[in-house]
Amino acid sequence: MFMDPKLADAASRRSRVTVMQGMVETSDDESIVLTTVLGSCIAACLFDPVARVGGMNHFLLAEPSSTQVNADVHYGIYLMELLINDMLKQGAAKSRMKAHIYGGAMIHRNMQPIGQRNSELAERFLNTEQIIISHRDVGGTNARRVDFLAATGKARCRHVDGSAAPAVKPTTLPARSVGDVEFF
Amino acid sequence: MEKTTKILTVDDSRSMRALLRVALLERGYDVSEAEDGVEALEWLETNSADVIITDINMPRLDGFGLIEKVRASTRHIDRPILVLTTESSDEKKKRARDAGATGWIVKPFDPEKLAAAVRRVAY
Repeated sequence: MFMDPKLADAASRRSRVTVMQGMVETSDDESIVLTTVLGSCIAACLFDPVARVGGMNHFLLAEPSSTQVNADVHYGIYLMELLINDMLKQGAAKSRMKAHIYGGAMIHRNMQPIGQRNSELAERFLNTEQIIISHRDVGGTNARRVDFLAATGKARCRHVDGSAAPAVKPTTLPARSVGDVEFF
Repeated sequence: MEKTTKILTVDDSRSMRALLRVALLERGYDVSEAEDGVEALEWLETNSADVIITDINMPRLDGFGLIEKVRASTRHIDRPILVLTTESSDEKKKRARDAGATGWIVKPFDPEKLAAAVRRVAY
């Protein structure tokens, strides 16, 4: 198979940044590819076509029966907000952002439907924030490998064997005390 | 009868405003909302709050601008203002302190700690 030399050249100059669980990465650099592997986790990819800035987060909330549900929802919304704020700092505007969401699979048959809950949270957040979801590839039983060219908004999602997905582990809250108050 | 503490929350994220609304209503506070600094100032022209809780990164008028304008006003000059933000840099914190903020809370917030902070600054 032959590849267009220009495309091959652009691909060879790209560097990949892995977005691990609990992380947010943004970029306006066309040579950067944000990449991740998802099982039950969700990755939201946001893109502003005018500012040519994009970003990805990657999270997994606890199981539906968890007593930590409230803190988890706070943390999921926090990671979405962190992604939006990091993009705003690079010149994006929330009103222009478009989203792709990936992941939320049920890799093991006897697993609780945490993937579904994660994708519902992401979808609800984006709807509430009036950010258009232009593409979604969620659910099912396969893991996913997502490559996102943040500066151009181009994404590629490949379904891969469930064994490729990282171990299922709810995203831990930040090490620092959550919500500590500092009085001036 | 004890007066209900009135809180104005200012955040451009509807999801965050909803989280705050639930957390504060459950604890007996009266909650009003604005989606950015401009809307908050408009609301404050005809209403008053005992405590203002504001985000920093917002369109039109951000949290810093809101704090400066509230402090420059005559009606709300002494109003306690808590900043609730994803930002944690010392530079931003100093800017908020210099503008006249009362306290700084980094998201994600803990409802109990937030309510304790409101109780401490409300009068």
